[in-house]
Order: sequence, then structure tokens, then C-alpha cells
Amino acid sequence: MSTTWLPCSVYHQNYAQDHAWWQTNFIKGKMLVLFLVLFVGIPLYADSYWLSVCNSVGYTVLGALGVQLLIGFCGQVTLGHAAFLAVGAYTSTLMILEFPWPQFLLDWGLAYPISILVAALVSGVWCVIFGLPSAKVKGFYLILTTMAAQFITVDFLITQYISQIGGRGQAFSLPPGTIKFGPWVIDNDLKVYYLMIVLVTLSCVVMINLLRSRVGRAWVAIRDNDISAEVMGINVVKYKLLAFFVAGFIGGVAGAFWISNLAAISPEHFPWFWSLWLVGVILIGGVGSIHGTVFGSIFMVVVMEVLQLLIMYLMDMGFAWAEPLFMDFLFVKEAAFGLAICAFMIFEPNGLAYRWWQIKNYFNLWPFSY
Amino acid sequence: MEITKDLTIPKLFYEKARSYGDDRVAMREKQFGIWRPITWKRYFDEVKYLSLGLVSLGLEDGDKIAMIGDNRPEGLWAEMAALCSRGVGVWLFQDCLIDEVKYIVDHSDTKFLFGEGQEEVDKAISIFHECPKLQKVIWDDPKGMRNYDQDFLISLKEVQQRGRELEAQQPDLFEKIVRKGHGDEVALLFYTSGTTSAPKGALLSHNNMLMMGKHLMEVDPCRESDDYVSYLPFAWIGEQMMSISCGLQIGYTINFPEEPETAQENIREIGPHVMFAPPRMYEQMTRSVQVKYLDATWLKRKFYEIAHNIGYRVADYRFKKKPIPPFWNLLHKLSLLTVQKKLKDHLGLSRVRHAYTGGAAMGPDHFRFFHALGVNLKQIYGQTEVAGISVVHRDGDIKFDTVGHPIPGTEVRITDEGEIITRSPSVFLGYYKNPEATEKALRDGWLHSDDKGFVDDDGHLVVFDRTKDVFTLRDGKPFSPQYLETRLKFSPYIKDSWVIGDRRDYVTAVMCIDYAVVGKWADEKKINYTSYHELSQQAEVYDLVERQIRQANKDLPESARIARFTNLYKELDPDDDELTRTRKLRRSFVEKRYEDIVNALYSDAEMVHIDTTIKYEDGRQSDIKTDLTIRQTGD
Repeated sequence: MSTTWLPCSVYHQNYAQDHAWWQTNFIKGKMLVLFLVLFVGIPLYADSYWLSVCNSVGYTVLGALGVQLLIGFCGQVTLGHAAFLAVGAYTSTLMILEFPWPQFLLDWGLAYPISILVAALVSGVWCVIFGLPSAKVKGFYLILTTMAAQFITVDFLITQYISQIGGRGQAFSLPPGTIKFGPWVIDNDLKVYYLMIVLVTLSCVVMINLLRSRVGRAWVAIRDNDISAEVMGINVVKYKLLAFFVAGFIGGVAGAFWISNLAAISPEHFPWFWSLWLVGVILIGGVGSIHGTVFGSIFMVVVMEVLQLLIMYLMDMGFAWAEPLFMDFLFVKEAAFGLAICAFMIFEPNGLAYRWWQIKNYFNLWPFSY
Repeated sequence: MEITKDLTIPKLFYEKARSYGDDRVAMREKQFGIWRPITWKRYFDEVKYLSLGLVSLGLEDGDKIAMIGDNRPEGLWAEMAALCSRGVGVWLFQDCLIDEVKYIVDHSDTKFLFGEGQEEVDKAISIFHECPKLQKVIWDDPKGMRNYDQDFLISLKEVQQRGRELEAQQPDLFEKIVRKGHGDEVALLFYTSGTTSAPKGALLSHNNMLMMGKHLMEVDPCRESDDYVSYLPFAWIGEQMMSISCGLQIGYTINFPEEPETAQENIREIGPHVMFAPPRMYEQMTRSVQVKYLDATWLKRKFYEIAHNIGYRVADYRFKKKPIPPFWNLLHKLSLLTVQKKLKDHLGLSRVRHAYTGGAAMGPDHFRFFHALGVNLKQIYGQTEVAGISVVHRDGDIKFDTVGHPIPGTEVRITDEGEIITRSPSVFLGYYKNPEATEKALRDGWLHSDDKGFVDDDGHLVVFDRTKDVFTLRDGKPFSPQYLETRLKFSPYIKDSWVIGDRRDYVTAVMCIDYAVVGKWADEKKINYTSYHELSQQAEVYDLVERQIRQANKDLPESARIARFTNLYKELDPDDDELTRTRKLRRSFVEKRYEDIVNALYSDAEMVHIDTTIKYEDGRQSDIKTDLTIRQTGD
């Protein structure tokens, strides 16, 4: 059974139709409008500031998709996902800076695209390594082992060793013009936006497709009850590790994408707090929902931006107390994050995706309530 | 298409299947959530082998083949195969009790019985030795059939295998047999439910069936591309009319629901273009809308109320055949867009062009309700003896207290006694093994219906009621109890009602509450109950029912108002013979059965003691001892 609400006289004569993505004209139209807005509307009308906000949202979506997969679909709670973003970012950066690229690949602008792919693979494998304990441990213990990923990867390996490669000191700066995607040099927010929207769309497509396949059903079975999943013949360890691989892979893409938006990368870009932040994103957006990942990312990024704008406005109004808040905005942000999580856990424990579902249902069931 | 005397249902089937082949879908069945299509080619092959299989089992011309089971492709294949091998089809209601099955199988001299699965096979086994003519029992659903080894049992697949073997020997045998038929031969033997006596078997010819479908479609054309949902019992002539008479001629797709319980949901998925159902289906829909409305939020309720009032207003303009003022037209468009469109979607009526109701009387309230929704609901009048229907409303000429004009080729007259009589090519051949009844019903080619009625000023036929059911009130006026009963049923809380009052001082009623709806109402009111019986006797429930009765009493003449009533301790049920299988009230039977209640209603008693037994479907019985309250409506 498809889970979408179908209007009268839409019926399926085979399973392909039953699993089709957009089953009614209304949904097709809706998606068309969405794509027009994303690919045409925003690039045309958004200014540089809002484009950069969009890029932050996109980066958060890419990062949170992996967390959503692990927590929301496979039930493997992770608190170290920033590590895999870092692996992706560093692999890509190092490849661009240090790899002896043949000249023709540089000319064709393929160095960065290839490095994204390699970064994704390395990050995926790295994630599998830290997923190995999930074969043995669950719940709280798994959370601790995933936190180990953060500390071992970022605080120890990257900070102490990887950052030293090439003798640049702490930060790797990326010379202008090195981030090239085919003929396009990614050098402004608009181009970053295009790269972001393509990657986000692709990642969402891959995720949704995986979730409606045998693999996705296995993940959900493991999430719901790993013992019954095993009884049903699912190789639990294999699928758990596959989930870690895919999560790491998308994380790697996220990290490698993000360097296009940065002039330089350093370990501070991937603090442990960022891992926690990504979990917060899916909690607010809705656990076990791709929509939720996107809603959560938008909410978190936009709320923080609005908060910042508000403090700036208060400063302009001459409130002296606003100034220290602006200076220490990072801490305000963390406090707001904590508050938002508390508020959602109490008032909307199923996240924004559930609210979205309820809004749709309100109209689907019109003029009744069930 | 020209229907000659030579044309039979199998010949038509042969032509249709040949011309459509694999290009068109003949039927769909929902299985595991998917509407699996069956093309005409496959339909043809299944029927061909099944038919030849029957021949190889020893079927001879005119042998009776009975079928019992839910609506499913195999059921229709069996019927078509029976006709193709020149047998006569007999359908039984799937919920028939063993005695009824035995009576019909035995009376019709059935040779082969098609049962769906274990349940039907069990029924067949228990009657097999009492029906000497019965030779084989054929089943198609293998669930639970592993340990059955009676030698008279055979699976549908085995029969078809025999058919394949026979075809290998005589490749053109099937065509030959089909070619042999003639339109005047008996096609179906249909047992009428009979509100008074044991079922009578009406013999219908191929020509009867085909002409009926043709004439109906001259009034309301169906299209090849239409979808139709077959979920009502095949043993009901209305379903035969849509699936065979019309379906085969026009070639629309017949859709079978996954399970009988999922029929409503499945209808919504398909969104049929044509519907024919007895009033109780529409009553059920109305009730579900009313109940959902009561549970909706404030804003939604307001929208619904306003839109529905606009709908009623516009429907009344249409009933009166007056032009709709532009202002109301605009409001109507708005309400269509905001509420009615969605509401029809919920009910699965989005695409419906013609919705028919027939088989029993439908209340004017229900009728107006559907027209207010914008559903083209029409009354049909007919009976098994005319192969389905003879009178129907025309588009744009609908009056909710009439049944419309006769279909082409049909003459309807009213005798001096007020009886409705019909003459048409679809009038049946006679009753099987019952010449007296045949003589009574068929006189000079006119079919006597035993229904009272008259023709109104616009030429519409008005069916008053069964002759024997018409009441004489204390002021000497005739009165139709059905009218009052259907009005009462417009309340969502009331499932059934039985109005009494022929030649009595006042009118009384026995009410059956709707367990689900009243149960929910009681839950919200925090009224405790454990069973239907207990719920029905709560004082609050009596208050509720009384309010519904006062509502129905409102615009009635004083002498026709219900003065006293009681809530029955159970729902009326065909298994207890209180209703026919098509859910018509068997008035004389219930009057005898509930004599105590009737007497109490016409005395000063405030209580009536009941001591009775009820029968369950599996044959168990249980005793009931209880007291029923009797309430004065105070009007």
C-alpha cells in the first residue's frame, strides 16, 4: 500500500505504479512548482545574503541526511557525524592541494568533482569502521562509540596529524580558482547555490530510492526491532554497516561540498557540537522522514539567522545589552538550540514533518476530520 | 448493436472477447493492494476451458449449475462457462443458510455447484446426500482445502484441465456449442427473495437479459471506457443486469473488491462511472457522512452546513425544473468547489454519471441528500421477473417520489385495482416448476407485479407499496409504511425501523438503533453498556430515538404519526428470516414473530417481556429473556 493519500479513481494495476513517486497530477504540479522555485526562482531573486543562508541550509540537509538515515531509519543513534563531514572535507581539500593531477583533468575542471567522489568513498569507509561496534552494542553504548569517532578523527587525527601535511599550519587555505566544477569556477554564492541544490536533490533522490527498496525496508525492520529483523532473514550486521557506509558517503559529499563555500578549512569547522546540532536538526524536523530533514535544516538555519538579525536590530535601536549578545552570538545560538530542542520535545515531539502531514491531512480529509 | 432472437449471451461474449483480445481489460481484481487486470483474452480462455471442462464432466443442454460465493472473477467465469456450455445459471446469496442452499439446489435440480472455498464446500458437503441430482462440487480457493478428499469435489483448475484435454481432441467444440444457442433459451434461473413465501425460481432467457440491458442503455448510455465495481451479490438481479446485461454489451471494465469488507474503500479507489445499489448502500453512505460531519471540527462543520444548504436549494430548483437564479448558481459553483467535490471524492462518487437505486423504497430525504451533493441519483423500478428493471428516471426529469418513465420497449399500465402491470421483451418465461404462480403472474403477456401504484400528471410511475403492505389508517386513508420507515432511517442513529398501524387506532414503530453510531454517541455521553441489547434499552437512547421520531413525524398528517415505539433488542437480520436477502422487511413474518411486542404497543403497557431464541449463522441458538421499554412519543 502506498502511504500517500490518493484521490478517488487513482488506482494501481501493478507494483511499479504503486511505488511511483508522483502519483497524481496535483503532486506533479506541486513538485514542478517546487523545482521552479528552487532552480529558477531563488537564484533569480535571492540576494547574496539569502543565497548564503540557502547554502547553509543545503549543507545542513546533506549533513543531516546521514544522521537521519542512521537514527531515523536504521535506529543507530550517532553523535559523531561531524567527523565524517570532516573526513570528506579534508580528503577533498588534500586531493586538490596535494594530488599530482594530470594537466588535462585540471583543464577540464574534473579535479574537484573527482575529489568529491573519493571524499565520499573514504568517508563512507571511515564511517563503516566506526560503525563496526554497532554489531555488538546498542543504545547508549553505541552513542559513546560514535562519539569516539568525533574525538579520534577530528580532535586527534586531523588536528594533530592531517593538518600538518604540507606544513601549512592549522588551516588549509584554498587558492581562488582551485574549486572548479567542469568549466565553472565556483567563486560566488550563486554558483555554490547551484552546486548545493544539485547535490541536495541527488542525495534526496538516492535516499528516497534506497528507502523504498529492499535495503530501505531492511533498515526500517532493524530500526523497529532488530531481533525480528534477524528472524526474518535480514543480515543485521551487513545492513547496519551498509547504513553507516551510506551515511558516511553522504556526509563525505557534504564535507567536500562545503569547502567550495570556505576560503580555508580547519578542524574548528567540525566541532563535536556540530554532530549534536545535526541530531537536533532531525529531532526538530522529525525522526524517520526525509521531509523532516529538510524542514529541520530550514528551521534551524533560518531561526538562527533571524535571531542574529533581531539582535542586530536591537543593537541599532540602541539597546546596550544587545551588544555582548552579538559579540558572543555563538553562545546565544547554543542556548537557543537547547531551548528549541526542549520546546519541540514538549510541544511537537514528532517534529515538523508530522505537522506538515497533519496540515496535508486537514485538507485531504476536508470537510471531515477522519 | 442489433439484438436478434438468435443472439445469446455466449455468442455476444464470443464476439466481444474476439474483438477486444489482449487490448482491453475485461475485469480487475484487487489482490494484495494491487488492481490486477484480466484481459478479454484471458477471460475468454478461462471461460472456454471451464466450459469445456463442464462438458467433459457430463453437462447436458439445460442442466442447472448453481454458484455461491463472493464477487470475484471466478464467479463470473463460472456463470459465463455455464451459459457457454448451454447450461442454466443459478446464483445463491453467499450468506445463505444451509436450509436455503438445500432448498434452492434441490428445487432447481442443480447438477454442478460452484463454491468459492472451504465455507461453501462445507455447506455443499452437508447437503450433498439430500440433493440427488447434484453430481460435482467445484471450488476455486484452495485455502483450507488440503484435507478434503470427497470424490465429488473437484477444483476449478482440474475442470479447466479437463477442458484443455477435450479441446485437444476436438479443437472447434467450444465454438460449435456456442453457435448452437438460441435467444429464447433459458439462461438464468433466479430465485426471488419473496417477502411472503418460499423463494420462487424465475426463468430468464438470453433475450430477456440482453434486451433489458439494451433498453436501459438507450436511456443512459454507458461507455466502453467506464469502470464498474461489482460488489453486490450476483444473486441479486441488479448485479446481473450491470455485470452481464450491460457490462457484456458495452464491454466496460468490471472491478472486484479485495474482500467484501473493503468494498466501500475499493469503490473509492476505482471511482466507478455507473452504480446500481439498493437503498441501504446509499443509506449507509449518508449515515457515514452524517456521522463524520458530527465529529468534524467547527470550521469544517460550518463549511459543510453552508455548502449543503446551497446544494439543497439548487437541487430543489432542479426538481421543480425551474432555472437556477444566477446568484444561487454562483454560490453553488463555490460550494461545489469547496465542499461537494471533496465530499464526492470521499464517497467514491467523483466520476459517477448515473447512480441508480432500486430493489426497495428510498426515502425522499436520502434522495434529496444525494442530489444536493450533485450526484445524478435515479430511482429504478423493476423486479427479477423483468430481468431487472422496467422503469427509470430520465436525466433532468427526476422527482424523488416517483420512479420515472418506462424504458424503451416497455409498456406499464395500472389495472383497475391499482396494480402495476408490465409488458416488454424482458418479461420472464415463467416460474420453474410452479405453473400456478406463473399463471398468476403472467396473464396475456402482462406481468402482474403485486405492487400498488399510479401514474402521476407528468407520466411518472409512482410505486406506492406492495399491495399487501399498504395500510389503512384510522381515518380510512391509505398509507405506505415504507415511506415512514425510510424517513426514520435518514437519522444516522437508526438502522432499521418497522412501522405498524394497519387498521389500528394509531401508528407505532419498532426501532433498531445503529450499534456503531449510537455506541459512539453513548461513549461520548459516558453511558455504560456492554451489548446491543443493553444499549438499546438505555433511557438516554430512548430519548435520542424519540427525537428522531419527532423529526420524522413533523410534516405528517396527525393520523400517520408514530405514537408509541420500542427499541428492539437486536438488529433485524435476514438469518432470522426477518428480512429478505435483499434486506426487505418481511412484515407478516415479523408481525407473527414479535406478536408480544405488537400487542404491548397497542395496550397501556410500559414494558414488554421477551422470551425468545436467536439463530447464529453457524447454526447455534441462544435464548433471550429480557424486558423492553415502550415509550410514548407524546405528540
